[in-house]
Amino acid sequence: MAEPPMERSMSPGKPELSGSVQIRHVDAGSCNGCEVEIASVFGPVYDAERYGARLVASPRHADALLVTGPVTRNMEMALRRTYEAVPEPRMVIALGDCARDCGVFAGAYGVVGAVGDVVPVDVEVSGCPPPPEAIIEALRGMTGR
Amino acid sequence: MILYACALGLCLAAALLALLPPRAITVMAEVITALAGVVAAVAGVRATLGHGWSAWLPGLLPLGGLRLALDPLGGLFTAITGAVTVCAAIHGIGSGAARPARAVMPLFVAALLLVPAADSVSTFLFGWELMAMTSLLLVAAEHRDRPSVRKAALWYAVMTHLGLVTIMCGLCYLAAGATGDGFDQLRAAELSPAARDVIFLATLAGFAAKAGIVPLHVWLPRAYPAAPGHVSPLMSGAMVNMGVYGVVRVGLDLLRGGPVWWWWIVLALGALSALYGVLHAAMATDLKRLLGYSSTENMGLVLIGVGAAGFFAADGAGPLAALALTAALLHVVNHAAFKTLLFQAAGSVQRATGTRDLDALGGLRTRMPYTTALFAVGALCASALPPGNGFVSEWLLLQSLIHALPASGVAGAVTMPLAVGAIALTAGLAVATFVKAFGVGFLARPRSPGAERAVESPRTAVCGTALAAAACLLLALDPALVLPALTEAVTRVIPAGRPVTGEVTLRLSAITGSISPVLIALALAGAVAAVLSLVRVVAARRPRRPARLWDCGAGPVSARMEYTATSFAEPLQRVFVDALQPESAIDVTAVKESAYLVQRVRFRARVPDRVERRLYEPVLAAAERLGTQARRLADGSVHRYLSYGFYALTGVLIVLAVIS
Repeated sequence: MAEPPMERSMSPGKPELSGSVQIRHVDAGSCNGCEVEIASVFGPVYDAERYGARLVASPRHADALLVTGPVTRNMEMALRRTYEAVPEPRMVIALGDCARDCGVFAGAYGVVGAVGDVVPVDVEVSGCPPPPEAIIEALRGMTGR
Repeated sequence: MILYACALGLCLAAALLALLPPRAITVMAEVITALAGVVAAVAGVRATLGHGWSAWLPGLLPLGGLRLALDPLGGLFTAITGAVTVCAAIHGIGSGAARPARAVMPLFVAALLLVPAADSVSTFLFGWELMAMTSLLLVAAEHRDRPSVRKAALWYAVMTHLGLVTIMCGLCYLAAGATGDGFDQLRAAELSPAARDVIFLATLAGFAAKAGIVPLHVWLPRAYPAAPGHVSPLMSGAMVNMGVYGVVRVGLDLLRGGPVWWWWIVLALGALSALYGVLHAAMATDLKRLLGYSSTENMGLVLIGVGAAGFFAADGAGPLAALALTAALLHVVNHAAFKTLLFQAAGSVQRATGTRDLDALGGLRTRMPYTTALFAVGALCASALPPGNGFVSEWLLLQSLIHALPASGVAGAVTMPLAVGAIALTAGLAVATFVKAFGVGFLARPRSPGAERAVESPRTAVCGTALAAAACLLLALDPALVLPALTEAVTRVIPAGRPVTGEVTLRLSAITGSISPVLIALALAGAVAAVLSLVRVVAARRPRRPARLWDCGAGPVSARMEYTATSFAEPLQRVFVDALQPESAIDVTAVKESAYLVQRVRFRARVPDRVERRLYEPVLAAAERLGTQARRLADGSVHRYLSYGFYALTGVLIVLAVIS
């Protein structure tokens, strides 16, 4: 796939990340629609790794958390601890409408709130689920590549 | 002479004192045993430095009388025994061992002192049997508390006495060909080559059994865990050495070397034991069993050195032979030091936690800080890494083998690289073994309530262990300290000058090579300090933030999440699956109503001793079958027994009549 041109309006990336962002994905209660899109973002077609974004296995290795879904009661403490475990400077990407404002699950009995209610959010990606292009754009905004 | 007699006398006094009931006197017996150790060590050192002596006490034993002589070789082993005794006795002062065990231990020490000083076949065999009997009593001492001890004692009794039988046959055959049973007369004996072969092989079998050499090692990993805590250091630090002493004394001294193939056998047995021992040590989860297999490994390394020395001597390469034997004897000294230390620390751990199972230990670093630090020193030494003492002797051994190529012919060109490979693999696996023993056993969190309740051992036990650790460090930093004694002992059997010279830097005289343990240690300390300060500097640039231990965001980290000894060894077990042949069984119990609903799954995995399984169990099974069959002969009928007696007697008479 040809590399889409970078729009002028995009931010030059976070300078402290030097063009590379290590991401730990946290499913805080997602329906797994966003996960399918993330899989395709890091798959061979969209291949986000060529822009310097990479999924890692532990928050200890990560620069940013990629949180999907509304934060459920079962995952609230886990999300807080995962955020605590990320070395500073750290960022949080709220991916999908549920992560931004609970989406269709707003007010459900098991939902604590949106990601922003639990941990500070730096980047938001809208959509239900967000298309891979949107996710790539958000990631490129962080890496600046 | 007087010192040696004092040491023996002190041992006997301690044995008598230990029988008396008051507790204060029992403690005094331990102190006297330690004193005997000091005196024996001094006597041994004096003998190695050229103050040898010999004595003949005709009335003390039937047949040849008690004939004693301490030459540098015997003196070296006496000194080792004495030093180990000091540590073991001090370590045992506070231990609650039973009175019989306390009384037998000084006798065991006396027997250990008697063997290297024996100067005639009858004295040697007397000392050897005394050593076997006393150690057997000590192994069986706790048979009331643990049923496994009885089985271990039975194995030990059979193996050690079979060894005694072969040694007795060999030495008596040798004495029959000489003018008397004194060692001087044996040295002068003129025997046919075939007779010498038989003598060497018979004695080698017996001595190998004592040294725990494969395939005669089976008693060793059983007896050490069975023996009381303060006895196993003495057994592994001093008694197994007697096997090496016997091989050197009979093979190189009394028989004055032999054909090359004798020493090939010794070398091959050594290499096999080293590899087999360390593999099973790496798999073991019982701390003392691990140390027992490690003894097999180290005695194997020593026998590689002894075999190479005999090989070179038979080949005419005297200086190389002297170097190999020096390396072997230095390894005996080093092994005695670190194995005493490790067994004492293991004894302390067992007393504090009530278990030897590594999978149930852990977390002792905060609870037993001194023992942990001392065990760490021992583990470093045993894994043959600089700056440990095992490194120096293994380096010397490797040097003698590597430089053998130009000296020996095709056989040497094939054998020696294989031996070098065996030693290298052994050293690598030993590191894994002791990382496991220390890391799983002492670090992390306690895996059982026993380990959680552990408290530091009494001061005497820590002192005894610290003494052994000090010996290890001294040997590691300044091996030149024992070189004069070793050189004297080696020159006694292979006269070829001084193989290793130097004070701070050891220089090999036969080949180009030098090593400086102190400088290596200093360089390592400097490197560690540099890395630590660099980390400090780099870390100081960023602000520090306390964070919770990462537990996947879930509940608290528990001891069940830790690496166990079994899981740590599992990758190695996979690599060596053909050699180890581990056994595992899965029992799935289904509920009554449906075979598809599982009620319980039980998984069992063990690594059996393959030699025991393949070699001993069939023999034992056959013996048992034979015994069952033979029981039919004894059906309780008196008439039948009388007829047995009658026919046996007439049969013997007929045979005698025919022969004469």
